[in-house]
Amino acid sequence: MGTLVFVLVFNFFLFRVVNDDPTATMFRGRNLTRDQIDTLRRQFQLDGSKWQQFTSYIHETLRGNLGVSLQSRRSVATEIGEAIGPTLMLVGTATVAAMVVGILIGIRAGWKRRSAFDVGSTSVSMVTYAVPDFWLGMLLLGVFGVKFGLFPTGGIEDAGSEATGISRLLDELHHMALPALTLTLAYMGEYAIVMRSSMIDTLGEDYLQLARAKGLRDAAVRRFHAVPNALLPVVSLSAINFGFVLSGAIAVESIFSWPGLGQATLEAIRGPDFPMLQGLFLLFSAALILANLMVDLLYAVLDPRVRGR
Amino acid sequence: MRTSRRWLAAGGAACAILATSAVPATSSASPSKKVTLTVGLLQDIDSPNVTAGYLVSSFEVWNLQYATLTDKAADDFATIPGLAESWKGSADGLSYTYTLRKGLRWSDGEPLTADDIAYTINTSRDQAWINHASVTTNLTATVVDERTVTITSSVPDPKLPTMDVYIVPKHIWEALSAEDVPTYDALDGVGSGPFTLQEWKSGQSWTMAANSNYWGGRPAIDQVIFRVFTNPDAMVAALRSGEIDAANEIPASAVQSLKGEEFIKSLAGLQGGFTELAMNGMAGGIGDGHPALQDLNVRHAIAHAIDRDVLFDRVLIGQGRAGVTLSVSPDSAWQPDIPAAQQFLYDPAKANALLDAGGYLDTDGDGVREMPGGGRPLDFRYEERSESEKAAPVRDLITGWLSAVGVATSVNIVDDTQLTDVIASGEYDLFVWGWTPFVDPDPMLSYFVCDQVTTDVASVGNNDANWCDPEYDALYEQQKVELDRTKRIAIVHQMLQLFHDKSTYVVLFEDANLQAYRTDRFTGWLQQPTATGPVLFSNSSPTYVNLKPVGSSGDDGGLGTGVLLGLIGAGVVVILGGLALAMRSRARRDDRE
Repeated sequence: MGTLVFVLVFNFFLFRVVNDDPTATMFRGRNLTRDQIDTLRRQFQLDGSKWQQFTSYIHETLRGNLGVSLQSRRSVATEIGEAIGPTLMLVGTATVAAMVVGILIGIRAGWKRRSAFDVGSTSVSMVTYAVPDFWLGMLLLGVFGVKFGLFPTGGIEDAGSEATGISRLLDELHHMALPALTLTLAYMGEYAIVMRSSMIDTLGEDYLQLARAKGLRDAAVRRFHAVPNALLPVVSLSAINFGFVLSGAIAVESIFSWPGLGQATLEAIRGPDFPMLQGLFLLFSAALILANLMVDLLYAVLDPRVRGR
Repeated sequence: MRTSRRWLAAGGAACAILATSAVPATSSASPSKKVTLTVGLLQDIDSPNVTAGYLVSSFEVWNLQYATLTDKAADDFATIPGLAESWKGSADGLSYTYTLRKGLRWSDGEPLTADDIAYTINTSRDQAWINHASVTTNLTATVVDERTVTITSSVPDPKLPTMDVYIVPKHIWEALSAEDVPTYDALDGVGSGPFTLQEWKSGQSWTMAANSNYWGGRPAIDQVIFRVFTNPDAMVAALRSGEIDAANEIPASAVQSLKGEEFIKSLAGLQGGFTELAMNGMAGGIGDGHPALQDLNVRHAIAHAIDRDVLFDRVLIGQGRAGVTLSVSPDSAWQPDIPAAQQFLYDPAKANALLDAGGYLDTDGDGVREMPGGGRPLDFRYEERSESEKAAPVRDLITGWLSAVGVATSVNIVDDTQLTDVIASGEYDLFVWGWTPFVDPDPMLSYFVCDQVTTDVASVGNNDANWCDPEYDALYEQQKVELDRTKRIAIVHQMLQLFHDKSTYVVLFEDANLQAYRTDRFTGWLQQPTATGPVLFSNSSPTYVNLKPVGSSGDDGGLGTGVLLGLIGAGVVVILGGLALAMRSRARRDDRE
């Protein structure tokens, strides 16, 4: 909670340190009169002292009013509301997919350490983890979107599409394939590497020896004794990453013209659109804080030692 | 076992949530095949509201949605009939009476009358609408009868009879109070132009449908879709693949690569926009501009030190035009022909000679000249815009050239808002920025009068180089009330020659809007002005009503989305199945160990 208050206050000053009044630049060369500029400042709530602006910002935010975008003059809540769906859909899918695939690879690689699978999958994971996601995105777009023309070059649906129902869903999935693949590849490596090392740590534990001594099959030892214990660090990693779902794909959204929060952030920075930036950063911070809370709660469920205390 | 089931359940639930979030509430209705022009662009509209938006893309929407009383010819911007079929001026030239076309209707079927014209002009003046007021501030419109309106100016106004303000539907707008006007969402889709806005998906696209009630008749295209890209290379790729029919603001690097494409034509559209190196003239008395820049010889020396041909070749990659002097209109009639002998052509020897003669010598041998009699070195602060991708190569070239004639520079990179503040405070020596003029030269000319010099930081003027010349001001006032176009052009030429000679701006180049379009889908692309202008995002956007589809094809012949997805789905199933089998067999082997 304290963190959120800090973010709330910090947001206001962060964006105003560099420049505090974009009105003159926005309307440069439009031959506006002094009165018109003043009216615009009033509409943008950039009039009055810094302190007045600040108190009204805090007051309005606490009431749930995030203000009005300087660019579109629509409410920030509406703007964010429209952009949040596409981001959840893209980054959420990619995060889940990366987690599942990454964990499966990590389990296998860790269990059969130094096998061909381990060497191969670890190398691949290292590469996809290290490669910048925007570069990977450009590459995939260039190969599958442009060269082979299998996928659209951007957007969330065919422009002007009137499709509804299942055909619209298929259209959206078609558009989502490349950006989702990019993000899945980019996120996957991390899970695989963490899961693998966690698995290897577990291999030396006494309770695994015991399980084997009991005569359990190898697969059963892995599934019921090794994996649940090795999963803990990955759970915290996943939960933290879920916190970044909303803010995590600015570069990839930009490459694929994906109309989500990342694109909205870029546009707002270009303005600069203070109310929009404040709203977005508040949301990103809140998501992260919530994710951290989830980690703590999840740990309690998964790790009896934590629950006991 | 319990744990893994729970994981599966959680994963399944997550997938279900994601899937349902993507399924729309409505369904059914099959789309009919419409003749659609799809335009790719990099800038979304800020607002469809004509009293609120300010981005270039929004003007394209308004150009299509709102017809104007008089139109502008595609070739040369000549004033031609629009909503008004004819007009007559009064003897004193102060008022014009316009006769509207017969049977004008808004796209929703309501009649469009002189009332709508008077409402727009008078209300925009009273409420100071940002995109209207600079034209309507001195005007009063009076309804004579349903088809006749008289517009009277309080001062001689050479812009008349041109009336290019967007006429809004009174029956919709009059319900809004003055305070509500700028926040109105303007998604009513009611207009009088060839296309009206049907849908706006913020950050994605906006769709404009043909207006059957347009005075010029229903356009041959059913709808125009503007699609927003955040990746310019992807936009060019979409043009190549036929996903879009035209693209605005393509990267300069793409122009060369598109040359080989059979059905794609690219062009560099000029509308008078330019980029200049400005020098602080300190006329406002605030700030701390370098005193050397107030010496005309130093300004001339700087102009001679810059090789504009190289800037054109290397920075513009030959797209656009090298600069000569201030450009005040996309209409070239307003531009004077400055003889080469009077231009400040690249001549470093002359630059050196001018500085030597002025007493700016390098007395301490550090390679940088000092003020006459020694003392402060000629080290100029150079403000560079972080927003412009051309800024870095321009800076490298210019600072190099200046250094070659003994002038040092300290570069400071700022964004536009910061630069506005720096300029307002007068705490700079040089900066590089640009302007784009309107068709009428008055606005651009007005920026450089003494009255526009900033004398108070809280009240920023447009005269960003702080240059003031009474002779220029006198000429400005003359042209402002000169109703004879030929005479007015002569005065403007004189002003631009003067501005050129005083060299407070070194105009580096005229920026081109790089565009490309497919020739296999539509014919009738119009450049405005003819031969040099752009086809999209031109001043009055005449292209769209002129386009006709080629043949009847509209399908790109590629695989349908459904088929493709089926194939992909099948592929995924096969791969997953294979993996599962492999794991099973592996597991069995494990058992045997």
